[in-house]
Amino acid sequence: MDPFNQEPPQWALKLLRLYCKPRMLEIIEGDVYELFYKRIENEGLSKARRRFGWDVMRFFRVRYIKGLEDINSLNNIAMFKNYFKVSVRSLLKHKFYSLINITGLSLGLAACLLITMYINHELSYDNFHKDADRIYRMANNQRGNWTPARLGIQAKLDFPAIEEIVRIQGPFSQTFNLDGTIYREERGFNADSTFHKVFTVNFLEGNPDKALTEPNSVVLTKSLADKYFPGRSAYGELIDMDGETTKITGVIADPPKNTHFYYNFINSLPHERYVTVGNWTGNNFFTYAKVANGTDVAALEAEFPDFKRRHAGTEMLEWSAYSTYEELLANVRNPPTFTLKPMRDLHLHYPGFALGSNGDINNVYTFMAVAGFILLIACINFMNLSTARSAARSKEVGMRKVLGSLRGNLINQFLVESMIVVLIAMVLALGIAILAINGFNGLANRNFDLGDLMAPTTLLYLLALVVIVGLVAGSYPAFYLSGFKPIKALKGEIKSGSGNAFLRKGLVAFQFAISILLIISTVVVYSQLQFMSNQKLGFEPEQVLLVKNGDRLSGNLSAFRNQVEALPGVEQFAMSDRYFSGFVGNYGYETVEDAPRSGNLMNLFVSADFGQALDLQLLEGRFFNKELVRDTMSVIINKKAADWLGWDEVVGRKLSRGEGRDFTIVGVVEDFHYTSLKNDIEPLVLRNVTDEGWINEQSGWWGANYFSVKLNGNLRQTVNAIETAWGRAVPDEPFNYTFMDDSFAALYEEERRFGSLFSASSGLAIVIACLGLFALAAFTLERRFKEIAIRKVLGATVQSLSLLILSDFTKLVAIGAVIAIPAGYYLMQEWLTNFAYQTPISIFLLVLPAVVVAIIAWLTVGFQSVKTALGNPVKALRSE
Amino acid sequence: MPRTNLGEFEELVLLIVAILNDNAYGVAVMDEIESQTERKINISAVHSALDRLETKGFLKSHIGGATKARGGRRKRFFTITVAGRTTIDFIKEQRNRLHDQIPGIDLGLS
Repeated sequence: MDPFNQEPPQWALKLLRLYCKPRMLEIIEGDVYELFYKRIENEGLSKARRRFGWDVMRFFRVRYIKGLEDINSLNNIAMFKNYFKVSVRSLLKHKFYSLINITGLSLGLAACLLITMYINHELSYDNFHKDADRIYRMANNQRGNWTPARLGIQAKLDFPAIEEIVRIQGPFSQTFNLDGTIYREERGFNADSTFHKVFTVNFLEGNPDKALTEPNSVVLTKSLADKYFPGRSAYGELIDMDGETTKITGVIADPPKNTHFYYNFINSLPHERYVTVGNWTGNNFFTYAKVANGTDVAALEAEFPDFKRRHAGTEMLEWSAYSTYEELLANVRNPPTFTLKPMRDLHLHYPGFALGSNGDINNVYTFMAVAGFILLIACINFMNLSTARSAARSKEVGMRKVLGSLRGNLINQFLVESMIVVLIAMVLALGIAILAINGFNGLANRNFDLGDLMAPTTLLYLLALVVIVGLVAGSYPAFYLSGFKPIKALKGEIKSGSGNAFLRKGLVAFQFAISILLIISTVVVYSQLQFMSNQKLGFEPEQVLLVKNGDRLSGNLSAFRNQVEALPGVEQFAMSDRYFSGFVGNYGYETVEDAPRSGNLMNLFVSADFGQALDLQLLEGRFFNKELVRDTMSVIINKKAADWLGWDEVVGRKLSRGEGRDFTIVGVVEDFHYTSLKNDIEPLVLRNVTDEGWINEQSGWWGANYFSVKLNGNLRQTVNAIETAWGRAVPDEPFNYTFMDDSFAALYEEERRFGSLFSASSGLAIVIACLGLFALAAFTLERRFKEIAIRKVLGATVQSLSLLILSDFTKLVAIGAVIAIPAGYYLMQEWLTNFAYQTPISIFLLVLPAVVVAIIAWLTVGFQSVKTALGNPVKALRSE
Repeated sequence: MPRTNLGEFEELVLLIVAILNDNAYGVAVMDEIESQTERKINISAVHSALDRLETKGFLKSHIGGATKARGGRRKRFFTITVAGRTTIDFIKEQRNRLHDQIPGIDLGLS
């Protein structure tokens, strides 16, 4: 057997050729071949083949593996290595410019990163539900949040396309009492037993199908279960909730943060008639429906007007002034119906339907715009500084071109350079974002943590952002610089040309425009806030203590009340069914006259002392009188309601709720703001709560849900005393109170956050723009050093020279202001339409930001220009 | 002379290359080591050591001599440089000097 006719294993040979450095390959192959042939003679063919394979594998060492330079199809890699090296050198050589570039970009990127995370989070709401696309919220007509009890049951029977429904109520806060420890827990819901069939719920303990079937059952989230039953299973335990013994029939995983209704516990619905049978006119439930795959939702919605008429028609007529449904249809703009809102849109597009998730698509847009603006400013800095320094790089470009570089190569080179800058900025941006995340949570009203920031999707977005910014910011300088004619470049004829300077100035003016726009927004938001807090409310909210949960008192009301009224710091004690600054609903009333008119009037039940406690201004007639038993049939109206009625003599006339329930108007009060200034004051009716707290004692209609206690003297002490009295009256209910003025101020939380967002972003925008301006000014002055020296030699004063330079930049601010002021005026006018009561946008508010920006620009440039003007002209002119 | 920066195996390879004189290439070095010391070594280890020694300047190499025994591929011959020669001489001298200084220990056998 001739060994030389044998071949070693081909896979090993291929492997070797794959990984081995080409210049080493021949020698190594030779040696392993030689060994192979030798071994065939000594050890036999198969062993030789095995050992050949082994030898090849042993050569798999760093020393012999191909490096980047060995991949000959990518000769460019060597070029990129060179670009990288040159870029780093150039960055290091101009430390000042690099620093400013990187700082500005990293601030901008950090803001963008945080905002991207926010937007990503906002858009992810309710996605975690299986079949999230098929879940809809049913609305009463177009915008009715609450739906009747029968709707869900009947819709599932009538329409096969509706697979499953669930009705929920909430959010409630309830008192948990476990062996004497009392907590008030927020965000509980009541739900049908089909809850888990519509929504995705992860049951850790308990049977999902059985958990919510029995009354007085509750399902707790894991964190709540662990709070009450640390270290043991909560399943099957009994707990006292709002005085009722309730069985824990399940423990579920906490829902994710990004859901439009965050729940801590789910109660079963009671087996009562209003739930099991229900009716069509009492709107007490939120109804969710899961539709079958491929359902045409528009077609389904088209069937609802008929559906509503079929089932609800008779009942609706009973409660209306019309005798036939046709007559009813003739008197409403759109036929009564139900509509379906996609669940995933609830958070952003139907905030009124979301159960407390505080989302708004407009916030998303605002944040996007802010992020875009800030990033744009940072990019402009980058472009400006790169092109401004172009003259300094022109020799390099010329030399590269002479040595054979194509334009494409040069473009690559400058793009690599901008990528390096952006990548460094990205690392810094991550650090800044980590530091700023808590502040950002305040602005966005969310609870992001580092986990959210470091989530792969967020980082992926950041990377995408980096690539985009690198390309966008880098492309202009790349195309500009690479276009130099080599001869001119080498002769040094390339100055930062005039066309180029024009663009640069335009970009700076644009930066100023954005800064001014953001400041205008800030100023207007704050002046509107100021306006609202200064606006006369029409009553006196100061020193009024608002005690909540009055319904828990019932039998103990008089005892509690007597104790409170006996306190020296208490002036008045008034009761009401709802409270100012909270939700006030409307009732339908009819006028009692020849041609009765009907209208929805805001409705509030108050006790006789209410007018005095809140200092309402009586215009005509009288307030309620405790002594008069019949005063429950009296009403007091506000001025708006009197205007609506339009009668000459209002006091003594009557309003009707139908069925012979007529209310006599006994007084008229001046208009007052019972809710946020975003809303107009509407016609309002005050009705009476008796001294015992009833609206209607026979039907058990309780009215004393809130107590408004007018205080004087030492507030702290009095509040403590009231708390003690409360503790004696309702031991198992924590004392829940606020002050009326605080409660009103809290209505503008969203606007205040808006203000903070704008002040933060305008601050950031100005800092970044000023960084750029500072560097640009330094550069411009460097270029004009000789010009200034000559001017000085010819007799210009330091003062006039400084002004000369400053006026250049002032012009840019002025151009920016011309763009920003109309834009800002328009945008903020638009924003103010949210408010029924608006602050006027004065010229001062619009000009002030421009002046502020101008001053900041002067400060930025001023120091440098004075320094240049003071410089010794000889130094500038001596060297050529 | 300062530290020589030479591993035990490297020193061995260096000595073998010196011994083989003009015929030192991968397989030959391996065979020589195996026959002289009865150590089982892999060819890749020899290559690696030869390359390291060349980088350190103790060896130099040239390409030549394609034979049928190698499937027509050329060999890379290594020769020792002056620096390599001085180094092994130095190491030997140092070893001997140190060895000579070991006191004759009375093991109590005589």
